[in-house]
Amino acid sequence: MRGAFRALFKKENRIVPAVQDISFDIAPGELVGFLGPNGAGKTTTLKVLSGLLYPTSGEVEILGFAPWKREKDFQMNFSMVMGQRTQLWWDLPARETFVLNQKIFEISDKDFRERRARITELLDIGDLLEVPVKKLSLGERMKAELACAILHYPKILLLDEPTLGLDLVMQKKLRNFIRDYNRETGSTILLTSHNMADVEELCKRVIIIDGGRILYDGDLSKIVERYAPDKLVTLTSSVPLDIAGLKALGKVISHNGSSAELEIPRKDVSRVMGLLLAQVPVVDLSIEELPIEEIIRRVFLENG
Amino acid sequence: MGKYWAAFSLSIQQELYYRASFLMERARSITVIIAFYAFWSAVFQGRDTLLGYTRSQMFTYILGMNVLRALVFSDKTWELMHEINTGKISSYLMRPISYVGFCLSRDAADKATQLVSSILEVALAAWLLKIPLYWPAHPATFAVFGLTLALAIVLYFLMSYIVATFAFWTSESAGPRFCFELFLEFSSGAFFPLDVLPRIFQSVFSFLPFASLLYFPLNVFLERITGPLLARGLGVQVFWAVLFVWAARRLWERGLKAYSADGG
Repeated sequence: MRGAFRALFKKENRIVPAVQDISFDIAPGELVGFLGPNGAGKTTTLKVLSGLLYPTSGEVEILGFAPWKREKDFQMNFSMVMGQRTQLWWDLPARETFVLNQKIFEISDKDFRERRARITELLDIGDLLEVPVKKLSLGERMKAELACAILHYPKILLLDEPTLGLDLVMQKKLRNFIRDYNRETGSTILLTSHNMADVEELCKRVIIIDGGRILYDGDLSKIVERYAPDKLVTLTSSVPLDIAGLKALGKVISHNGSSAELEIPRKDVSRVMGLLLAQVPVVDLSIEELPIEEIIRRVFLENG
Repeated sequence: MGKYWAAFSLSIQQELYYRASFLMERARSITVIIAFYAFWSAVFQGRDTLLGYTRSQMFTYILGMNVLRALVFSDKTWELMHEINTGKISSYLMRPISYVGFCLSRDAADKATQLVSSILEVALAAWLLKIPLYWPAHPATFAVFGLTLALAIVLYFLMSYIVATFAFWTSESAGPRFCFELFLEFSSGAFFPLDVLPRIFQSVFSFLPFASLLYFPLNVFLERITGPLLARGLGVQVFWAVLFVWAARRLWERGLKAYSADGG
């Protein structure tokens, strides 16, 4: 309250650099993953992009607008969905908030009806729209939330943890929907998620930030080559394994009697496989990329 | 305009969603009318005038106060404070809708439901208890009353909006808000006509914005405030309205800067 009185007469400046030297361009129609650990500056960046915060220095331009000016032509083409935040009216059925957004975004009745039908069908939420929002489950609410946020077919869509708290089936549905939406409308989507399945399935390009700085910006496939020089070999033998012998071939991650996991440098894989098959009576063998979680973790470790 | 109308209509639905608390509120308000009526009837026993009010003027004050309270003192700024504290306001700031406009639509919905029910209550009470009412002798009084009432609504909105901006700086804005409401009820003349107070308080209060909210418009309606006093009262209303517009805009601007969209 003291702050309120002070603010009447005095301008307050507090400088806490939450993000700095963040610089990226996203082309129209791209679907980009925006990754980072908690507190990395993801949400701060999204808030700057959505116009809720304005940058103390630097420039942000989306569709030719400075978001923090909150101009109508920008906001008409923009939308952000936050996993733990709702724009739906809690006590009313979601369909009512849809109508509010129809008016706010000046969607014609015809477009509104068509889009609502199409979106509710794709997300399978027809009946849910008639139920007060507070009676929906988390996953149901999230779908209604997303539907409500894209009724105006925004050219720019920011999704902050869209699959947070959803079960696997629901996650899959939501991801399919996001992919279809991106393809059909050619909209640009920036997505943050701690759920690597979201990123792997949806994003060709990822931007990884930590400590308010960009660590990596590029193709998801390239990150694998750069940060995962090793491949993961899983083998099962018909006899108990000689662990000491395996250690000579590569890094043993785990072992359990007759089976083991090894990390082997990409370039050595074929040579080591030859040796391995000669030494060990192999029953089962697989050669895979490291899980994406592990790769991202390495990006953080290396740069952190 | 469509979006504000939609916000208004959603707010009405929201209001009616909580039917039980709506009905309880009505019961409370009828009880208050009856209590005030009983009290002032007892005080008026064997007199024709009191504190310069005739019997019908006093009862009209009490019933009118009920209607005006519904119209002036109804608002949704508690929700506004909640939206600031929880960060829900972000979802409005990102959409192409004026937040003040949205608040006004929501307040208007509250005022509409409150007004309708309060008129019904008052009419019912006046009819059942055969309460004598005072109607202005001059038709012009209705116009002036309308003007003072409009200014009172604007003033109250600005004041509650200003108090709500405290939420930008503290998550404990409910305390100041509560004090504000309590003081408001007392000093606006909602409990009793301010004529009950010692003269010194009366003169101080006549320059404060609070009496402008209920006491002043009601006395204009009762034709007890006319001529130079009426002009002065209008001046007081306009002065505070201008000052509050300035303060509200400034606090809102500063508040939004301080607001870092907390809560994710």
